Amino acid sequence: MSTLLTDEIRGYIGLRSEAITACDGVEPGAVRRYAQAIMDDDPDYAPGAGNARHRGPVAPPLYPSFMFRRPFGEPDPLTEHARDPDFDGLSLGAGDGLPELPLPGLAMLNAGSEVEFFRYARHGETVIQRSHYADIYERVSKSGPMLLVVTETEYRAADGDLLLRVRKTAIRR
Amino acid sequence: MNLAASAPFEGTARPLRRVFEDIAVGDEIGPLFKGPLTTAHLMRWSAAMENWHKIHYDLPFATGHDKLPGLLINGSLKQQFLAQLLKDWAGREGWLWKLRFQFRAMNLVGETLSVWGKVTALREAAEYGLVDLDLGIRNEAGLESTPGAAIVALPFRDGPAVPYPFMAPTG
Repeated sequence: MSTLLTDEIRGYIGLRSEAITACDGVEPGAVRRYAQAIMDDDPDYAPGAGNARHRGPVAPPLYPSFMFRRPFGEPDPLTEHARDPDFDGLSLGAGDGLPELPLPGLAMLNAGSEVEFFRYARHGETVIQRSHYADIYERVSKSGPMLLVVTETEYRAADGDLLLRVRKTAIRR
Repeated sequence: MNLAASAPFEGTARPLRRVFEDIAVGDEIGPLFKGPLTTAHLMRWSAAMENWHKIHYDLPFATGHDKLPGLLINGSLKQQFLAQLLKDWAGREGWLWKLRFQFRAMNLVGETLSVWGKVTALREAAEYGLVDLDLGIRNEAGLESTPGAAIVALPFRDGPAVPYPFMAPTG
């Protein structure tokens, strides 16, 4: 019988976040730094790019999912934790807007991602994300029961076009 | 003009047009080499995405606090390499539709990564062909760290470019 997948946890399936707008639009300078950091010198990323399909210069495929940074006015985690020797430096930026599952004491492991691409973000566009718990199910491994939590996030341009859909599976045990 | 036969490349490694009929199960794509990846590469990526996870640049923290064997190459960077390989292979009229991957093993600073793909199946949708691929990232020692799979849509030889924005096949 299930030991982790309670009715309370099951109730999170389908729960949606509010829409979150990335604090900056698709900035040419940020795109250049990102493209240089991933070492992908695709000419379609450069200002003045002439690929008719995209109707202007674009950002790398996964760029929209990395746009949700810490906005102005939000606390600085590096300064807040400057005297904490256990702080790992991990920054969640704007997060996904979903409430934490009430699973205290359970570790979280990344079990993989699936990305669907629909179009690339153009320079100057605003990107909006919205997430939901797509599925939560239980499996039993050698070390006991575990929950698999599937979170789906859609990234859209301000004109409503779907850019990316990302499904991440986390193991909680 | 059909450019598929000679597959001329634009820029780094991007064919102008790759067509479905030229692809066979078992075809290998890549490899795309990245590296050797130094601490500076990882710092540049951390800065570009504004995430300061210390296991990528703070060696005493990574080995002393987190008990890791060294500084880790970011999974967030490795997934970019998979996307680049497939985007470039799809060409200007094809489209990388789906990309799936898992981070199964660590890659350490100093490694050179080889990003590869292999065609596993071919299917025809109404407007374009679909190419299934297995993917991975391998280091010099042969360790496969990032198994995955992808679906790339390619135009038919006598057909139009894959629709953009992409429209997934129905049914």
